[in-house]
Amino acid sequence: MTSRTAEQVYRELGDVMANTFPDRDFSASVGPSTQVFADLGLASIDLVVLGERLELFYGRRLPYGQFLAELRNRNVEDLELGELVAFLVRHAG
Amino acid sequence: MPEVEVNGTRIYYQQSGTGPDIVLIHAVTSNQAVWVFTGMVDALSTDFRVTSYDMRGHGFSARPATGYTSADMAEDFRCLHAKLGLQPAFIVGHSFGGVVGIHAAMTAPECVAGIVLSDSFFPGLKEIEPNFGKANVWMDLKETFQTIGVDLGPVVDFTRLFRTAANLTTQQMQTLEEKVGVLGRGWLRQLPKLAETTCGDDVLAEAGLTADKIKAVSQPVVALYDEFSPFHATCAWLEQYLPACKSEIIPAAKHLAVVENTIAFSAAVRRHLHRLTGVEVRNG
Repeated sequence: MTSRTAEQVYRELGDVMANTFPDRDFSASVGPSTQVFADLGLASIDLVVLGERLELFYGRRLPYGQFLAELRNRNVEDLELGELVAFLVRHAG
Repeated sequence: MPEVEVNGTRIYYQQSGTGPDIVLIHAVTSNQAVWVFTGMVDALSTDFRVTSYDMRGHGFSARPATGYTSADMAEDFRCLHAKLGLQPAFIVGHSFGGVVGIHAAMTAPECVAGIVLSDSFFPGLKEIEPNFGKANVWMDLKETFQTIGVDLGPVVDFTRLFRTAANLTTQQMQTLEEKVGVLGRGWLRQLPKLAETTCGDDVLAEAGLTADKIKAVSQPVVALYDEFSPFHATCAWLEQYLPACKSEIIPAAKHLAVVENTIAFSAAVRRHLHRLTGVEVRNG
């Protein structure tokens, strides 16, 4: 089975986010350094729900809770899309 | 999609793990993200089946105009419990979430095996908390709002907080968001939405959970209160009057132990849940 590429995951993530948050506008240019809280305006609960929708999309459990808890443990103020994509390539690919 | 219709509203929940049922209930103005970001869900789901949910009006659950008393929320819990086919569950409730847990133990005892409270204030016990109105977390919030020239009033008043937030100018909201940071922004932005509901008054209503009713709760209760909590009198009262209550102080916290001292809080919750359920520790 061919692993997913980062480009593919970016597209899939965009689709899942559009379906999860239909009232939000993500049409502005996004990239690896786009921050989900500061730039996309998401809240922590949005990330939790996104995780559940990503698991549904990829059809498997992801260590998403551990991923989010590690952000907090590293005192990271925000999450860059590139980091989320790297996580998905690693675990959903 | 993990949503269910219960008690006339829609509740969003998540579930993971296998084992005895644990239900996590957050505080007013919070949501289940607190259990995820602090690693509590992961820590507990190695040995338990963990259900976390957003109370009505919060997170991704629906936001009806009314029904925010602990009695209403306990009924939401009972209906969710039934819909998900849970066994009698241990509830871990932060602040008002703990009040909901105790209320459910009273009104739906068949659903509640025990309750772990995190720094809960009970409206039915307000007589023993003369300083409730000047709780430190409220004083901190007042101070933050004062920096934008807004007075939240002398005592804890959620309705005033929600309506004040709803009436902020764009500039005032932006200034507050800069102060609370990106993670606090989500919390701030939902406050005006709660102004459209009876939540503010309801969560401070006794709603039938009187001191005598609390005393009659026979399920095991663990009272985890924060070192700098404004509610130590409540903790002492619970240990004195409930037939099966153990208390413990979580150091270096002042109402949000799950966030302020996650390591100690998580260890205490897991230790007590393993003790109460008899489940062997499978991991760490």
